[in-house]
Order: sequence, then structure tokens, then C-alpha cells
Amino acid sequence: MSAPLVEMRGIRKVFPGVVANDNVNLTVRAGEIHALLGENGAGKSTLMSILTGLYRPDAGEIYIEGRKVNFRSPRDAIEAGIGMVHQHFRLVSPFTVTENVALGLKGGLRLNLNRLAVEIAEVSRKYGLQVDPQARIWQLSVGEQQRVEIIKLLYRKARVLILDEPTAVLTPQEARDLYSTLKKMAAEGCAVIFITHKLQEVMEAADSITILRGGKTVATVKKEETDEKELARMMVGRDVIWQGEKPKRSPGDTVLQIKGLRALNDKGLPALKGIELSVASGEILGIAGVAGNGQRELVEVIAGLRPCLEGTVTVGGENLGQCDPCRVIQCGVGFVPEDRLGMGLVPNLGAVDNLLLKEYRDPRWGRVLMDRRAARRWAYELVERFQVKMAGLDAPVKLMSGGNLQRLLLAREISGHPRLLLAVYPSRGLDVGATETVHRLLLEQRAAGTAILLISEDLEELFRLADRIAVMYEGEIMGVVPTEEADLEDIGLMMAGAKKMEVSA
Amino acid sequence: MKKAPRILMIGVILVLALGLLAGCGGQSPASDSEQKQEDKMKVGFVYVGPVGDAGWTWAHDQGRQYLEKQLPWVVTSYIENVPEGPDAERVLTQLAEEGHKVIFATSFGYMDYVIKVAEKYPDVVFMHCSGYKTAPNAGTYFGAMEEPRYLSGMVAGKMTKSNILGYVAAHPIPEVIRGINAFTLGARSVNPDVKVKVVWTNTWYDPAAEKQAALSLLDAGADVIAQHQDTPGPQQAAQERGKYAIGYNCDMRQFAPSASLTAPIWNWGPYYVQTVEAVKNGTWQPEQYYGTMKDGIVDLAPFNDVVPQEVRDLVEQKKQEIIEGTFYVFQGPIKDQKGQIRVPEGGKMSHEEVLGVDWFVEGVEGDIPK
Amino acid sequence: MTWIGWEKRLQPSPWMAVVVPVLSVVLALGLGAIFLAATGFDPWKVYLSMLKGATGSKYGISETVVKAIPLMIASLGVSVAFRMLLWNIGAEGQFYMGAFGATWVALTFPHWPAYVMLPAMFIVGCVLGGLWAVVAAIPRARWGVNEVITTLMLNYVAILWVDYLVYGPWKDPQGYNFPLTAPFTEAATLATIPGTRVHLGLLFALTAAVLLTLILWRTRWGYEIRVIGESVKAARYAGMNIERNIILVMFLSGALAGLAGMSEVSGVTHRLQHGISPGYGYTAIIIAWLAKLHPATVILVSFLFAGLIVGGYSVQTMGVPAATVSMLQGAILFFVLGGEILTRYRLHFGRKEVAR
Repeated sequence: MSAPLVEMRGIRKVFPGVVANDNVNLTVRAGEIHALLGENGAGKSTLMSILTGLYRPDAGEIYIEGRKVNFRSPRDAIEAGIGMVHQHFRLVSPFTVTENVALGLKGGLRLNLNRLAVEIAEVSRKYGLQVDPQARIWQLSVGEQQRVEIIKLLYRKARVLILDEPTAVLTPQEARDLYSTLKKMAAEGCAVIFITHKLQEVMEAADSITILRGGKTVATVKKEETDEKELARMMVGRDVIWQGEKPKRSPGDTVLQIKGLRALNDKGLPALKGIELSVASGEILGIAGVAGNGQRELVEVIAGLRPCLEGTVTVGGENLGQCDPCRVIQCGVGFVPEDRLGMGLVPNLGAVDNLLLKEYRDPRWGRVLMDRRAARRWAYELVERFQVKMAGLDAPVKLMSGGNLQRLLLAREISGHPRLLLAVYPSRGLDVGATETVHRLLLEQRAAGTAILLISEDLEELFRLADRIAVMYEGEIMGVVPTEEADLEDIGLMMAGAKKMEVSA
Repeated sequence: MKKAPRILMIGVILVLALGLLAGCGGQSPASDSEQKQEDKMKVGFVYVGPVGDAGWTWAHDQGRQYLEKQLPWVVTSYIENVPEGPDAERVLTQLAEEGHKVIFATSFGYMDYVIKVAEKYPDVVFMHCSGYKTAPNAGTYFGAMEEPRYLSGMVAGKMTKSNILGYVAAHPIPEVIRGINAFTLGARSVNPDVKVKVVWTNTWYDPAAEKQAALSLLDAGADVIAQHQDTPGPQQAAQERGKYAIGYNCDMRQFAPSASLTAPIWNWGPYYVQTVEAVKNGTWQPEQYYGTMKDGIVDLAPFNDVVPQEVRDLVEQKKQEIIEGTFYVFQGPIKDQKGQIRVPEGGKMSHEEVLGVDWFVEGVEGDIPK
Repeated sequence: MTWIGWEKRLQPSPWMAVVVPVLSVVLALGLGAIFLAATGFDPWKVYLSMLKGATGSKYGISETVVKAIPLMIASLGVSVAFRMLLWNIGAEGQFYMGAFGATWVALTFPHWPAYVMLPAMFIVGCVLGGLWAVVAAIPRARWGVNEVITTLMLNYVAILWVDYLVYGPWKDPQGYNFPLTAPFTEAATLATIPGTRVHLGLLFALTAAVLLTLILWRTRWGYEIRVIGESVKAARYAGMNIERNIILVMFLSGALAGLAGMSEVSGVTHRLQHGISPGYGYTAIIIAWLAKLHPATVILVSFLFAGLIVGGYSVQTMGVPAATVSMLQGAILFFVLGGEILTRYRLHFGRKEVAR
């Protein structure tokens, strides 16, 4: 048996504070479609960045066709025949397809665009990548743009193609076309690696699968030897879920009621497809799901930051209306957003100004001129109460650690005594201590009768905090289960797109 | 509010640093030449453009250099690039404060500021070029540029083949309108079919805009470009297109060797000498000087080799008539653009009418913004 | 493989805040000195004369103040828009519209007494300047049209509009067709400090600086401006109305530039004329930037600039050409700005790490 086309051995990469890859192994053979499966943050992208020469591993070796290589820059990787289609395309939109393929080609100043166009047409016919070489990029659909990216790589004689979540932007029809193209390329002797977290996709297109979790290789399996259930378990982890210490509570009145909610994402595609949810006072509803399945859009609609197409959102019986964040705040909705330092806090302002973000309209600061001294006193009290550590009340908050930022954010949102608290990935990127604090604060709020909508990727966190868990997949709620009755495997399957009914069946 | 001190610091430091330098500079002993210069009479010039404009300001600066050469007891200084606005008042004040006894302000827009500053410095003589306001210690001076302009018009009228002449003009003020009229009258005196197309640039000095304006005239069919502008830009445009051009202010043939036919030019030197001598002798009066070709303050630059002898003779003859006083540029009959007789046969425009003219003669194509 | 790169400093070190500006100015003066010496001038004398021209006499100081007034007011306007990341490049045009509005009042109602005339000129000047900015603000707020382009283009429109007036309908009948309006009546001119040209505009500028400071740091509106300027996402999250603020802030910005125009025609030129602003609106941008958009600092930097301009003219009588003076001014700016960058970024020289 010949040497594998790509072999990565014992790859380790450490970023300040995070071990992104730890002793990762990956072997891909020519003629194979290889899926790299894992949750967000499992280390897939880092591994591929190392393979394409963007990062250098702290330890480990890479072999291409059995020869050890040492990529010093992306250019080295390209020369070794490795190419990547990124999630965000790197195309120049006013240029034509041909011109985009020509960009970065070697061979001096002479450029025969006509000949190039003919060659492009040839490549696209051969692999079934239909695209007009003369069309300008901005005229093309997202799917067509992706084809241009692939043509770029094929034209450069790439033998290893890496695709980062290629179907995320595609319609089902386009996705099927893509699979058949990938199969043709594999048949030509290329190796295809695609990054994904969708189980269906893996089963449909891949020959073999490597699963990463927490920066480590879990396993490499052949498709024939596995099924979705096993993959789901490997992806989310077999660890025993820690449960308990959560005082029992009988939920109170319904606070948040969502009916038939539909909305679009930033690209204008449907992101929410008829969401029905309710959260009661003193209840934590956890939403599980792989990031990018509509969770962000859901909280944005509730918070009044995104228009909804259809459906209603009511808090305590009051309709929140359309895209009016001010009204949402007045209805008593606290919101701990995913993007702490971009949306939740203003990086260059101090703690006082950041704490005022939702309180500044309050008449208690004075009628015309704001009483800065009173605001400062109030801020100081909050900072003390929530034990936020910082250089000073006026130092830009961007200098604070992640844990302290989250404390500051929670201090503000909780101090407003919300009826409903939206918490999105509240412990992401935090260390154990800070995570502990966040969990304690959320449970305190639950005890105080606040309705909490908790969005998390961390199943352990959900099992620990939530009273009920809903699973979101592609803009739909796959099912809602009380935590005590929830089964990890079922949740994993629903995260991969199986409906609750099917699971139980 | 926390960040304010940084720039404050820069300001303080700059002032301190300059102060330090000032201290050092103050200690160096004044040189001999400086002491001698103190006995000399100081004469100041205010220029609207840079001395290197190869046009209006350059011509004045030639006059300044001539003055310094002719009168060894005079020392001159100048300030260039002074906008025709509030800055002029400060610059004039500065020159007066520094002990300049005679100050020549060489652009129309300085007029009100000259009068204002003259009031404050009664011992200083102010001379304002091209204006019309005077004071006991402020006079005006200018020249009958219409005379050489008329002659240059004759050259253009003879050299054109398309019978369309282009005229790149600065501002629609009497000085410029007068020149356009004289040029047109001259051209039509030798070629009655000639039309003169006018483009306004609204700037005295802007090489790029002037050139662009000339190109637009060339595109409109003009084959000789005249100008009331301070740079050789329009002539360079003509040179590039292989057409002809008439310069202004000074002989600009070096900038457009094959295009530049001739130019109505200024010769300020002798007048500057005469004025400064009069101030020194105490004979100076606040007059409104309007020099003519006879006085030598205006003239026609040498002809380009392409101008035929026949044309040269014709122009030379007319020049003599002007100098002898047998020919006057604005003598009747003169029709305006609508064909109405403005100056009857045998009549003449008065000096005041000439100075305040706000209409075009027949043959000019263009509008005066009203 | 050696390489050079930039790295952003988290917080500028305190000693650099002192050393860098000193070094910048010394370097600028040093470079200027070499250049001056090479072209045959005594650098000490040139610098001395520059300083004396700008600050060496009561007259020099007063002229520096006169020059600083329009720069201060326009720059305050620019800085408030920049604080919200609204790149209002149109202060020049708003200045012209303010001058136009004030002139309209002065010419149309020549019989009004000063106590009616001046407030009317003030208000109309501000409103026109403000509206001119709003012309660009509305497309920006509604459809995200880049205000850099629109405000810049509107400058030309405003300048040409004023040119049309002074060359056409508003031309002084006694002006021999020169591009000037008739002079204003006494009632339409701002009071000056006797013996100088320093006019009431100075008070406008200082008041505006104080008010702006209060607005930005002590009012809810100012708070919104600061938050939006730092993070639009956070502002939306907090329920602030971004569109309304874009329009309001642009109006304020334009109104200040318009006030600069009003105070220039009413305080200095006493008439509208072609080229009323020698680029005050553009210089205001540099000032706002150097002053880090801080009102009090804007006032100081404006004086610095005015001093550079006034001092620049005064060294010309030593025979230093205008171009050399501009070069000196440029060198000082260049080094101060360069020094600013050095305090915020760290320059790296090093070798690329070698992979094991």
C-alpha cells in the first residue's frame, strides 16, 4: 500500500490560554473523501490552518506522500498541492471568474485571459462545476461562487482540497451537486477533506471520518463501520453528565411565549422556521444545538435586534413588537449576548459608562445634566457586589479578563431585575472559577423567579442548569425534554437533525 | 477628558522649544551687512502667487529685482502666496511694522485691506496694483494692457485658420473684460470673421485648471489660445496639440517654443524705480497711475519665428500709431455682442468707461456672469 | 529572515506620552534646520522670526487668535461627528453655507438693528450649515451611503453656489464686477476688541467648546454619541436610535462649521467673497484628529495651527520662500502625527520564529 497523501502526526498547537490541538493525528488517502467532525471549538479549523501553512504547529509532523514537509507560509502549502475553500470566499467581486482564477497565478506579467477562460471551461466541464468564465463574481449565487473557489484550486493542480463547512451556505440541491463534484475529484485521485458538524452530511458524502473533541482526536472510522448515533456520541462526549444540586422548583407563570416565529439570517436565508417556545418564571430553558442553527437569530429577534417575518413574542403577556430594543428593555428583558465585548460592552469605555448602558435613561441621574458622581457611586456598589476586579472604574473595560467582563455584564443585566434573562453561551471561553460564578448567578436568578433562556453548546452546562432542554437544528425546535428525562444520545441525535418522534420510535 | 494633556504638552513644548531657539538666536551678533542694511530704504512687495509662476507674480518680481539693482540704497523683501482675503491685512501690517517705507500690493483683492492698513500707518506709502481706491498715503498703479493685447489680437487673427480663437480668462472683472475686448477688436481688425470663445477659470493661478480650460477651447475648434492667466499652462496645452498660443505677463516662449507666438507683457521695473525715487525725494503724490505702451510699462514680447514678416510689419505699424497717439484701441465704431452700437463712429470710450467695462464687444462668444 | 512589523500597544506607556511629543517637535525642527541651512538661511533666525510673528507682539497674538477662530469652531464641529465615526469631510462646504446664510440675512434686511441682525445671522448661519450636513446624513442613516463621498461632493456644490452668488446676483454694484458682495452694515458686524481684529467669534468658539464638553460627558445625548462612536452594535443592543443620532450629530457638526462661516463673514471680512475660506474646513479635520476629538484640546491645537500659519508669513520677509515655509509646517505636522502613532504602536525588528 502506498503512503497516504496526507499524514499529520502528533500535532499540538497552543494559543495563549487554550490548547487548540493536542496530539492530533489525521491520515487521508488519495481518492478519499474525509470528513473532519466536531463541535465548534473542537480544533478542526486550527488543524486545517496548520495543514495550509497558516499556523505552525508547536509539535508534530506533517507528511505529504510520505515526505516530511515544513510549511513556512501558505505559499509553501499551495506549492505542495494543498488548497482550501474558506467559509468566507476570497474572491474579488467586481472581477470576472477568469480574472479571479488568474489572481495570484505565477508566470510573470504575461497573461492570456482568453486561453485561461478556455481552460477554466474545460475544468468546469470535467468536474461538473457549471459556471460562466466571463461572469462577474457579484452576479453569481453563493453556490456558484463556491464553485469558482474550487475551480481556482483545481486549476492550480491542488491534490488535497479542504472545504470549511461547505454546505453551510448552500441549498439542499446545491449541496447534492457539491457532493457529486467531490466524488468526481476523489475519483481523479485527489483527497478531499471537509470540515463539518452535520452528521447527515457526513453519512451522505464521506468515506472516512475523523472526530475531534476538545482539541484531541477521538477516533477515525470508516463510514460503513459506523452510524449517526455513534458519531453523535463521539462528537459530544461520553463523559458522565454531572447533575444535581439544583433545587427543585415548580415553575410559575409563563413569562416568555414564542409562537410561530420566522426570521431571516444576515444572508437573507430563513434562519427561524416557525419556533414555538415558552419559559416560565423561575425556570431555565436550555437550548442545545450546534452553533449556527438559528440560536443567534432567535435571541436577536427576542431582544428586538432582528425583524421577524411572522409570529409573536410576548413577555408577561406584552407583545414585544417589531425591532424595538428600547421597548424590550422596558418590558424587563435582560440579555447577556454571545459577543460580550462587541455588543454587550463597549470596549473603550470604562466600567461606569458600561454599567449605565441600560440605565442611562433613568431620571434618577438628573434631568438635563447627568450626575456623574451618583452614577459612579452606584457603579462602585455593583462592582463590589459582583466582585468584578478591574484597574479602575474609568479604565477601558477591554483591559479586563473574560471572567470579569462576564461578571460586569451580568451585574448590569441582573441589577435591572429582569423578568426574562437571555443568556447566550454565558460561560464560553471562561475558566472553571468564572464558569462557576456564572452558573451560581444564573441559579440565583432562577431562585428569584426570573425566567431564563439559556443557549449553550456545552451539554454538561445545560444538564446542570436547565429545567428543560430544547434542541435547535436548522431553525427548528427538534424537541423539548425535561432535563431529568433527557438522554444524552437523544440530544446528540436531535442536534444532528433527528426529530424527537423519530428518536423515540 | 483624560487624554487632553498630550496635545497640550505638544503645544507647550513647541512654544518652549521655539523660545529656546529664540534665546540662542538673540545672542548671535548682528553681522556687518545687516547694520548697513538698516540705513537702506526698505521696500516690500505682496504677491498673490509664487514668484516662480512664470507669469504675473514673476513679472512683478522682475520689477522688484530691477528696482534693487537700479537703486543701491533700496533693500526689498516680498511675501508670496498671500490669498486675497483677511490674510492680506496681516501681511500688509507686518510689512509696515517691519519698517518698510513703500509697500506694493500686487493684486486687486488686496484693495480694501490696503486702504485699511494705510490708515494705520500714515508714514508708509502704499501702492496698490489694479485697484481704484486711494488714500493720502495710498495710490494705485496699472497699465494700458489693452494696447499690446490689441496687437496680439492682430497676430492671432492673422494666424488662425479655423477663425476661432480661444481665450482662457481668470475672473469676469473689468481688467480681464477689457483685455478680451481689445484682443477681439485687434483680431477682427485684420480678420472680420474671427470669433473669440471665452472660458472662465475663476482663478488667477492654477496651472492644471488653466491647461484644462485651454484644452476645452481647443476641442471646441480654437486654433489660437490667448490667456489672462498667470501660468504658461494654456500655451503648453496649445503646444501639445500643435496649435498656437498668445502668452501674457512675460515672454513665455521657453515653455511652448513652437506654440507661443508672442505675448502682451508687463515691464514694472522702471515704474517701481520712479515711484521709490519720488517717495525718497518727497515728490510722491497719491495718484492713479495708468501707464501706456509709450511709457514702456506694457509691451509686446518678441515674435515667434513662425509669424510671417507681413504680419510683423502690420503689427509694428499699428504699434507706432498707438505710441504716437494716432490710434486708440477703444475708438468707435464698437458694437457689443448683440450688435448694438456702444461707441459711435468717431467716438471714444472714456478712461472711466474703459476701467469699468462690463460688456463684451461683437465677436466674443461667452457670458459675463451678472 | 528579518522583518519589521507593527503591534498595537494595549496602553501607551506614560513616559512615552511625554518623551515622544518632545522628540517629534525636536526632530521636526532639526530636519527643518538642516533644510534651511542647506538653502542658505540661518535656522535660528527663521524659527525666532516665526515665533515672534505668531506670538511676539500683541498684534501677532491677536492675529493668531483671529486665524484660530474659524479653525476652532469648524474643528469642534468635525470632532463631534468624528466621535460618532461619521466622517464629515464637508466642514468646508458647511462653512460656505453658513457664510451664505449669514450674508443673506445681512444683505436682505440691511435696516435691522444689531440686536436683531446678529442673532438672526447666527441662527440662519448655523441652520444652513447644519442642514447642509443633514443632506449627507439622511442617505447615510437610511441606506448607509458613505458620507465621506457625499460630504466631500457637497463642498464643491456649496463653494460653487457661493461663487455663483458673488459673481452674479449678489455682486457689489460698486465693486467693478469683482466677486464680492456689498460690505455689511455696521449692525451686521461682530464686535471686536479695539485695536485688533479679534471678534466675538472667539466667544462663540470657547462657549461651543464648553457646551460640547458638557454635552458629551454630562448628558444622555452625549452618552449616546460616545457609545455609538465606540460600538454601534452595543448602542443598538442598548436600544439607542442610531439613525436619529446620525442626523442630529451631523446637524450639530454642520451647524458649528456654519457658525464658523458666519463668524468669518460677520467678524473679519464683513462681506461674502470668492474663496472666503482658504481651506479652513479641511484644516479643521487635521486639527480634530490631532486633538483626539477632545473639545479643549481642539482649542489648543487650533492656536498651534494658527500660529504656524501666521508665523509662516512672517518669515517670508527674510527671503524664505513660501514653499519652504509650507515644508516646515508639513514637517512639524508629520513628526507630531508620526510620534502619535509610535505611542500607540510598537515597532518590531526581529527574526521570524523557526519551526521546530
